[in-house]
Amino acid sequence: MADQGGSQHGIARSSRVRTEEQRLRDLEKIRKYRELEDQVRSRVSQRDYSPETFQLTSKLLRFNPEYYTIWNVRRRCLISGSFSKPSAGSSCSKGSSSFSPSDTTTTSSGSYSSSSSTATPPNPASQTVGKSGITADPDAPATDDTKQDLDLIRSELGFTIPLLLQSPKCYWIWSYRLWILRQAIERLPVATARRIWEEELGLASKMLGRDRRNFHAWGYRRHVVEQLESSSLQGSSLVEAGFEYTESMIKSDLSNFSAWHSRSKLIPRLLDERAADGTARRAFLDKELDKIREAINVGPEDQSLWYYHQFLVLSLVGHDRDQTFIPELSLQDRVGYLKHEIEEIKDLLEDYQDIKLIYEGLFEYTIYVCQLEGRRPNASEQADLAAWLAKLKELDPMRNGRWTDLERDLAATAG
Amino acid sequence: MAAKFKQLPEELQLATSAHVKYIQSLDTRKDEYDYWLTEHLRLNGLYWGLTALHLLGHPEALPRTETIDFVLSCQHESGGFGAAPGHDAHMLSTVSAVQILAMVDAFDELESRGKGKAQVGKYIANLQNRQTGTFAGDEWGEEDTRFLYGAFNALSLLGLLHLVDVDKAVDHIAACANFDGGYGVSPGAESHAGQIFTCVAALTIAGRQDLVDKERLGRWLSERQIAGGGLNGRPEKKEDVCYSWWVLSSLEMIGKTHWIDKDQLIAFILRCQDPERGGISDRPGDMVDVWHTVFGLAGLSLLQYPGLQPVDEVYCMPKSTIARVLGR
Ligand SMILES: [Zn+2]
Repeated sequence: MADQGGSQHGIARSSRVRTEEQRLRDLEKIRKYRELEDQVRSRVSQRDYSPETFQLTSKLLRFNPEYYTIWNVRRRCLISGSFSKPSAGSSCSKGSSSFSPSDTTTTSSGSYSSSSSTATPPNPASQTVGKSGITADPDAPATDDTKQDLDLIRSELGFTIPLLLQSPKCYWIWSYRLWILRQAIERLPVATARRIWEEELGLASKMLGRDRRNFHAWGYRRHVVEQLESSSLQGSSLVEAGFEYTESMIKSDLSNFSAWHSRSKLIPRLLDERAADGTARRAFLDKELDKIREAINVGPEDQSLWYYHQFLVLSLVGHDRDQTFIPELSLQDRVGYLKHEIEEIKDLLEDYQDIKLIYEGLFEYTIYVCQLEGRRPNASEQADLAAWLAKLKELDPMRNGRWTDLERDLAATAG
Repeated sequence: MAAKFKQLPEELQLATSAHVKYIQSLDTRKDEYDYWLTEHLRLNGLYWGLTALHLLGHPEALPRTETIDFVLSCQHESGGFGAAPGHDAHMLSTVSAVQILAMVDAFDELESRGKGKAQVGKYIANLQNRQTGTFAGDEWGEEDTRFLYGAFNALSLLGLLHLVDVDKAVDHIAACANFDGGYGVSPGAESHAGQIFTCVAALTIAGRQDLVDKERLGRWLSERQIAGGGLNGRPEKKEDVCYSWWVLSSLEMIGKTHWIDKDQLIAFILRCQDPERGGISDRPGDMVDVWHTVFGLAGLSLLQYPGLQPVDEVYCMPKSTIARVLGR
């Protein structure tokens, strides 16, 4: 199964021998932790999802945010009592709703404030944490019920922030946060729910600012955008904004493949929404090719850049006709584009002789030209391809098995 | 190859008995805080440890009866399993439970003392989103190709794959494919070695490898090997023993294992072991854990390191178990 918590990543191996003092300290920590755990468990076994149980989950989750069952207990507490009405499809009857959101604010404010100095607005939590009772929110919904839900939702979002900052790769926190956000859609007026979701973009950007490749944060951002575009939030397309976002991420770090990837996914939609005609699409392609070539000129050893270049070239070759964003080019034009790219890559060889990605690009794109034209490589291409393969074997012996396979395939096409 | 590794310096020999002792010690560390903080992974941990022991040729190193008792004590009325007694049922621990029971040949006990195969199958099948074909991890959780793979893994071992809409699930995986031949966690997501493993393995179980662009994917996967011999999970990331397994097993599934340098990968994994106290870490010199121990050993097994039992690249379990359960 894929990665999950509990595994050790990047922690230096130590002697693993504890002093007696350390051992006793551990035992004390264990005692406290288990005591807390026992309290929650005994309450759960009696189906006690009261505000007290809820507060205990806050404590326990701060010790251990990976404890997924406790996140579930927390959800049950909210559904069975704290939220104003049972959510659709929930079998929980409406319990005591005396549980006021300020309780959660109290329980979470301690650890929230410790991290708030690093928080940047817009922050979903900053608007209610610290306030008790009435919120002076201009968009505040009219009824007491929805106001209570709004406060609770904001408070829960605030609760997870310090935990996320501490454990940015913890699946369960992200999952809980998304569940809370879905509650906003189910329980709040659309305009209010939309504002909460909009603020989430700020959080995703903040997490990506701390770790530009955080897989969870990119996925989270994509999910938030999808929701903001959906009819449940009366949304409309955010493709232009998303594209601009990749632009800014790439500007600050050319080798951020996550940003290039995101860009590759947005382009087809972007051009459709711009109702781009053939000329506009070509102009767009030209600009992207110039941009990535320029980047490759600076960092020809960077795989991320070549992957994006491949994406553009593949859209010309038309491996996947549905995905291509330049459907109107003639075969001759496509071949022309490819040959131009090949020449540009050849120019790189003047400055860089020992970068295998250059030879790989030349090899691959030359094969594409032949495929497009439906022919075998001619004699001069054969010579080039063989020379590039020889270079690849020399520069990259790790992948010799692959070069040997390509050599075999090449011999087969030569007949 | 056997002769070649006999000649390696001592630190590059597999510390088999240390690894066995390390895994046996895992459940005795109750005076360590981490033992309690990781209880939500107990059943998964048992699967990792038991698989490691089977691959090391010491399947008896954990007592069979206690193993079965513990697994069954984690089962809920719904048929699903939690990570430990008192923990909610979840796809991940349910899959681990099925894998453990398969390894110790205890499906009969599941029937007689547990809630039975059919109930487990029902629990898993209920987590499928019938509109999109993908799976959630539990009644609350998000959807992820990890859970889809887990469902296929466990259901196929139980002989209950027909309980779910396989075609819909396959369509969903196809929608997660990227131009580089890889797969992401959901449609639109970047290719990632862990997700590639789950998607390609699920397609393999479904008999739909025809959907995989093997040339392109093989290229991407082979480029994960970096200086030092280890493999990373995405471009420009650090190498790691667990990612090495996902990349390697995916390469094996599409018949391209020879596209990387096997000897260098073997040497990298062996450099990550703690030869005295046992266990394998993500990178040389880091803390060991059972997660990296099993994936390190599985990698070595796939690379035919001498003395290890052969591992199945799709299930990450001994080939002998898969042969017995699936009647291959
Ligand atoms: Zn790892």
